[in-house]
Amino acid sequence: MRFSLLLFILYFLLRKAAKDNKVFRRYIGNIHNLRIMIKTTDGKRGRLYIFDAGTVHSLRGANHAYDAAIIWSDAFTGYKVMLSQSDEEQFKAAAAGKMKIDGMAYFAQWFNEAVKLIF
Amino acid sequence: MNIINGGHLAVKYLKEVEKIDTVFGISGGHIESILDGFTEYNIRTIDVRHEQAAVMAAHAWTIYTGQPGVCFLTAGPGFTNGLTGIVNAYLENTPLVVLCGRAPLRDDLKGALQEMNQMDMVKPITKWAATCYDVNRIPEYLSIAFRYAREGRPGPVFLELPPDILNVSVDISQVPMPVSPKQSSAICSAEEKLKQAAEIIDNAKQPLFLGGTGLGLSNCSVPLQQFIEKTGFPFMLMNYGRGALPDNHHLSIWDCGNIGMNVTLQQADVIIAAGLRFNWIMQSGEMIPPGAKVIRIDIDPHEINRNRHANVGLVGDAAAILTQLIPLVSKNNHQEWLQTLKAASRSMLDFELRMKKKAEEPIHPIRLAARIQEFAGEDAFYVAEGGDTVYFGLTGFRSQHKAGVIGTSSGLFGCLGTGIPFAMAAKVANPNKKVILLNGDGSFGFNGMEFDTMVRHNIPVICVINNDCAWGMIKHSQELSLGADRLQCAELGTRHYEKMVEGLGGYGEFVTRDEDIIPALQRAFDSGKPACINVITDPTATSPATPLFYQSLKME
Repeated sequence: MRFSLLLFILYFLLRKAAKDNKVFRRYIGNIHNLRIMIKTTDGKRGRLYIFDAGTVHSLRGANHAYDAAIIWSDAFTGYKVMLSQSDEEQFKAAAAGKMKIDGMAYFAQWFNEAVKLIF
Repeated sequence: MNIINGGHLAVKYLKEVEKIDTVFGISGGHIESILDGFTEYNIRTIDVRHEQAAVMAAHAWTIYTGQPGVCFLTAGPGFTNGLTGIVNAYLENTPLVVLCGRAPLRDDLKGALQEMNQMDMVKPITKWAATCYDVNRIPEYLSIAFRYAREGRPGPVFLELPPDILNVSVDISQVPMPVSPKQSSAICSAEEKLKQAAEIIDNAKQPLFLGGTGLGLSNCSVPLQQFIEKTGFPFMLMNYGRGALPDNHHLSIWDCGNIGMNVTLQQADVIIAAGLRFNWIMQSGEMIPPGAKVIRIDIDPHEINRNRHANVGLVGDAAAILTQLIPLVSKNNHQEWLQTLKAASRSMLDFELRMKKKAEEPIHPIRLAARIQEFAGEDAFYVAEGGDTVYFGLTGFRSQHKAGVIGTSSGLFGCLGTGIPFAMAAKVANPNKKVILLNGDGSFGFNGMEFDTMVRHNIPVICVINNDCAWGMIKHSQELSLGADRLQCAELGTRHYEKMVEGLGGYGEFVTRDEDIIPALQRAFDSGKPACINVITDPTATSPATPLFYQSLKME
């Protein structure tokens, strides 16, 4: 539940940043229809973020097509690591097999960098 | 009196002093006496179909043999056609000697055939460029040319030889022939700097060693191995440095690919960059975390702090510096860090690792590279060229040989068309090894006619076209920036390049199914001919290089 709420809050913050954060707007630029999924391995929790022509949209659920996905072994780990906003924690989670990237890894890194700009 | 003309004199120097046995070029009237010199002194000529291929192949010859490549261009259009290859060598710091004809000095300003100012065009893109005006000084000029090409930071050199000196005769006994021009000095670093570096190296917890072209050109495999195995540093060798230690060395992180390197860099506390420029491919140094300590080794002092402050800069030849460092560093082991970074990288590469094993239609380029590797193994030379295709080749291929895997268009110039000339030179230099070129379909078009060269000279390279029927990197980049409904000049369509190769006398096959890849490669190899396997691949497959490319050109 907390994980899903975090994903929703993240959407809210991304959408807000797209409107009033110049640095973030410049970063996401005019990118067309880039779809980033964050979900749990079991697919029970997830959210899709769509970056399109300077805007951010989102869809609830893990069953959407995406360009890259950040997949957490469980909601608790996902919540804890994402909230830490730490590259080192992400690295450790990846090393422990608790976080995987599916699809284009570069886009997942791009997304992580975008998220850093909104805090 | 022993008489010799200028053209023969030039070739005599190449053969007897520099021990050159193979050169690349295209014939031309202005350089006829040089051509005849090649016959006289028994130098093998690989005559190509476009001068850019000659320069690129000579550039590649340097990389595969360690001896400066030599090419010959005729005046005017021969010269201008070669410029792309010269710029590429210049930006890659590759020693290369370009011999070029010109319109007669006698006819300057008279409107002579192919009269133009070649020198002012070539000077900004060479390390050294000169015109020789005196037949007696041809060997001296050549000696200077080779010295400039090789010594210090290497690069291409250009020597213009007018017919006024090529086509006149002299008494050979009156021409001084330089001796021992290969004698060179190694530049080393100060003891104090070396000690500072050793202290940082000994205290590293999460280190990474990155090596580039400077390593490859310094011929430093032995000291590199000793240094790496003593310090226990995980390493990644790139560009022409790749293969200075084999990809399968237990401390190499090539199995983590470029993505693994990016992830690892973010967590590294000490980074040694040897003979590697922090250019756009390294995001101008921005991918190096601010807190990491950086030791840079480069023969060019201007590179030491370029785009990233170095905690210690060691100026000099990589082999000499590493040899100096070895006794100063402690024996160490970073096995735990190595395992951690490999595990993290595997999580990031999950998709690519699955694609390698997934037989599907259309074929994914990652799978195509994996199947090629399965066929040719590690005792082979691989060349990858194109946009996304370079990424798929560089990350998919493994070789036990120095320069065994080269992405020819992934350098600063991003020069398409380099794949076939490089593969050609790789095969001439290593006739008993398999040479496989993975070529994008777009880039194949630039030098595809060189299959005629390979047929005439019996150079049986296997070229596999990763055919997504488009300028894939441009197309996918435009999809990101313009939108999929506004693609411009990005599509190519399905073309039977293999039939073109068959028409030129080579071997060709068209492949669309996974199970046909290896049998087609085997038949191509068995044919003994230059071969083209045209493989239709997934047009939606994109490499990480595409968004990197897209991001690098975003201005607001």
